[in-house]
Amino acid sequence: MDGKVIVITSGKGGVGKTTATASIGAALAKDGKKVVVVDMDIGLRNLDVVMGLENRVVFNIVDVVRGKCRVSQAAIKDRKIDNLFLIPASQSDNKNSVTPEEMVLVCKDLKNEFDFILMDCPAGIEQGFENAVAGADEAVVICTPEVSSIRDADRIIGLLYAKKITPKLIVNRIIPAMVEKGDMLSHEDVVDVLSIELIGLVEMDDQVIVATNTGSSLVMNKESKAGMAFTRIAMRLNGQPGLPIEIPRTQVGLFKKLGRRIGISR
Amino acid sequence: MLNELLKKWRGTKTTSSQAAKKRLKFAIVYDNLEVSDDILDALKGDIIEVISRYFEIDTKSISLDIDRSEESSSLVLNTPILSAIRR
Repeated sequence: MDGKVIVITSGKGGVGKTTATASIGAALAKDGKKVVVVDMDIGLRNLDVVMGLENRVVFNIVDVVRGKCRVSQAAIKDRKIDNLFLIPASQSDNKNSVTPEEMVLVCKDLKNEFDFILMDCPAGIEQGFENAVAGADEAVVICTPEVSSIRDADRIIGLLYAKKITPKLIVNRIIPAMVEKGDMLSHEDVVDVLSIELIGLVEMDDQVIVATNTGSSLVMNKESKAGMAFTRIAMRLNGQPGLPIEIPRTQVGLFKKLGRRIGISR
Repeated sequence: MLNELLKKWRGTKTTSSQAAKKRLKFAIVYDNLEVSDDILDALKGDIIEVISRYFEIDTKSISLDIDRSEESSSLVLNTPILSAIRR
């Protein structure tokens, strides 16, 4: 097998990296790929609870790096989705417990066993970021339509370019009603500022919190707009790059539709 | 839609998202101009080396700074020349 390592990163914390990692990983696995999601937030483990696998954790990524266990022992199988595995972060170590060089080696091993390796990057630009990015072939940068998040995304994009990686962008937590009122940056604005290729737009969705509460997968919920958006992002990563990007919009009546048609409404 | 049409005709005031975009662009341009002291020191060392091939300069009183104004940034080097090196 010759897998692909994709790092999901943002710079700023709390913009949805972990949810995105879990959801994209689940969608890829549902599509028949063998997927492992790796929690690189060493010391602040969270991907396990988001996926509902917290009580199955035995080994972690630091154990794998130190050769205390094999990859197959550390990778926890998902409860519902076949082909989906999680390698959790260690909770008792810190970001300096592993080095980028060690991560490159681990990524090589993982590529032999999985089609997709998704790295859930910690917030920040320090060692944790370096570790998560070290073995990556591709990168997805996630941001919300807020100034602080976009500014940090710009910094991260610069750091990724310096590592010869051309990242793709997800704009998360879009609130269409606010965008239409002019009170939230539109995805066009965000792309204009960051000038990188878009890979998906995700609407603000209450179902994300519900799914996290129960540790179930967002992409299993057909009602979830965010879940569906992540599924389409997974398809774009999985050999369908041309799949059109749907723009989150409010439900509208005839007049607004007319306005959009003649170009005076959003 | 009517509101938007009216806004369009009235030559509207800027929305908060327009303000956000403008501020962001400025912040990012500014961020990208920021250079760490280490890099500036390294640059200074290199410049001294090059200039010293042509002029005898007082390396102690050389200054290298980045001047920022609203519109542009510039690198300002100031050094007294003691004498030209004749070859």
